[in-house]
Amino acid sequence: MTVTKLTGRQALNRTIASALAADPHTVILGETVQLSGAPGGPLGGIYDRFGPKQVIETPVAENGIFGAALGLALAGFRPIVEIYSADFLLVVANEIIGDMCKWRQQHARSGPLPIVIRGCMGPDKGGGLGPEHSQSMEAFFHHAPGLVIITPGTPRDMVGLLRSALRSPDPVLFFEHRRVYDLVGDVPDDESFAIELGRAEIVHEGKDVTLVAWGWMRTEAELATQTLKAEGISVELIDPRTILPMDHETIARSVAKTGRLMVVEEGTRTGGVAAEVITRAAETATRPIRVARITTPDAILPYSASMEQNLFPNAKSIAAAVRAFALSEQPVGVSSH
Amino acid sequence: MQNAQPRVEQLSHDYRLMLLSRRFDERVTNIIRSGVPVPHYHSGEGQEALMVAAVTPLRKTDQMIYTHRGYGHLLAKGISVREVAFDLFMKAGGTNHGLGGVMHVARPDLGVPGREGVFGGRFAIAAGFALASKLDAKDDVTLCFYGEAAGARGIMYESLNMAVLWKLPVVYVAENNGWSFSSRTEWLFPEGRMSRVWRGFEIPVEVIDGNDAEEVSATVSRAVARARAGEGPSVIEALTHRLAPHIWYDQATYQPPAEVAAQREHDPLPRTAKRLLALGMSQSELDSISQSVDQEVESAFTAAAAAPLATWEDGRRQMEAL
Repeated sequence: MTVTKLTGRQALNRTIASALAADPHTVILGETVQLSGAPGGPLGGIYDRFGPKQVIETPVAENGIFGAALGLALAGFRPIVEIYSADFLLVVANEIIGDMCKWRQQHARSGPLPIVIRGCMGPDKGGGLGPEHSQSMEAFFHHAPGLVIITPGTPRDMVGLLRSALRSPDPVLFFEHRRVYDLVGDVPDDESFAIELGRAEIVHEGKDVTLVAWGWMRTEAELATQTLKAEGISVELIDPRTILPMDHETIARSVAKTGRLMVVEEGTRTGGVAAEVITRAAETATRPIRVARITTPDAILPYSASMEQNLFPNAKSIAAAVRAFALSEQPVGVSSH
Repeated sequence: MQNAQPRVEQLSHDYRLMLLSRRFDERVTNIIRSGVPVPHYHSGEGQEALMVAAVTPLRKTDQMIYTHRGYGHLLAKGISVREVAFDLFMKAGGTNHGLGGVMHVARPDLGVPGREGVFGGRFAIAAGFALASKLDAKDDVTLCFYGEAAGARGIMYESLNMAVLWKLPVVYVAENNGWSFSSRTEWLFPEGRMSRVWRGFEIPVEVIDGNDAEEVSATVSRAVARARAGEGPSVIEALTHRLAPHIWYDQATYQPPAEVAAQREHDPLPRTAKRLLALGMSQSELDSISQSVDQEVESAFTAAAAAPLATWEDGRRQMEAL
């Protein structure tokens, strides 16, 4: 399979363009999409190529946009809705959880209801975007049955998972981490390349500790894994890639081998995705296992980039946490701060 | 000006559906009075002219978004009273097999896509359907009813702004029945009017007598024609009366009996019957409509009573059928 080196942003741009070209009923809705959509995002040049019948610039009216996307999907279109920043999804929680997720079941509707909601999430490299532009949003939504949540961590996964998202019969939240936009990686050229939703990737095999990380945290965890390898600590790194459905089976198989599970989450601690991953692993383990998580503390993010930087997990803090976890029998509960 | 014959035909067609809606409500009300709870049931008594005459001008391919109150809209769009009864009692063989009940009756093939759960989302969903028509260069129209609760939410502004901006073929119809559960409409909207503010968009905004089937039909037909012609949205506020309590368990002690009695003087059913007689219809023709409606309701409720409760698998099977 031939590959091309692309940034996450370029990879998404290419995938979105081919989806629009393949189907005139695939349409984009969003704010500022005539120019380029959300700053740093992947929609550059898309409007110029596909025009106003497929790229619909909307007023800054999220409830209106998301409701209209549902109407379009019910009418047979495949809307791709851009949220300007993933944080703003809280404005439309009812449109997503109350209407899009429930619609098929409440009406016993035959056939799919394809809606892909995509948006940039998390701090960019410089940071300091403030607490309403930097949050991790997956935990807020992973409590909703009927939803698919995708958190790609590489350019390759952005392509493979977006292709599957566009075929999903259920509404999808597709979270594009701002730092993954700038990652460079090999992307298969084959237009049929897709990654099955709900399938984790074992990024690195190991035997001492199972480390689970997604989104940008996958990259930080990979760096930590390399550091630890040099020290003789063997980490099995798993990227679940989708939060809903979560591939608990792959994690359970790994934990059965290592007996230790640490989950990295860029979001805050209480009620996070890590809590669910750990609980499931504990529920299904056939022998006692040790568990821990490294997360952002339960804090409202400050505007100051230097203050903010200290709150998110990073390669160094992950390595330190895993080291303590792997070598000691003491409880380890780490907020990255 | 229409000549008298088609007018009688249209009105008698509407009258039959209005009566079907009324008899359905009377039947359910009797069940409730006998002590049997009927969850999610909201009577449409008093609003039949509006529910029916606003929908019969639509084509099959037009979309209609109904409110939770009353079933005349559904019947007028072609859903059978039997299906509505089955959905009401969560029986296998309704439109959603107990997964949404009577709050979420859906027949996409008849232009009834369903209903949102939390009031207000409807405005944007309707705008989305209208946008789909426009993008596909079809002249299908979406008609969206709304009540006091939905109409108080900001989504109506967001949706109407898009509809005006893009000249979408959508017609919003306010059911101003004087009440939002136990709150009077005038406690919630300035001077009790649910449409006045939309005049700022410089689109047609009409306030009409919602108990006059002919006025409802004519006004909606004008708005629909305008939408089909690509001239954009309209808002119609139809004034009517809710003659029944809000929901099955409500005793409506807040509704003064004298006020309800006075409102019964404007009941659209006797009023429409009288009008049909004036237009030349005979009493025996009206009686025969009444008899056939009674039979239809009787057979629907008998079938619903005999049918098994829907199971989870019934609904899932329908969902998974592609």
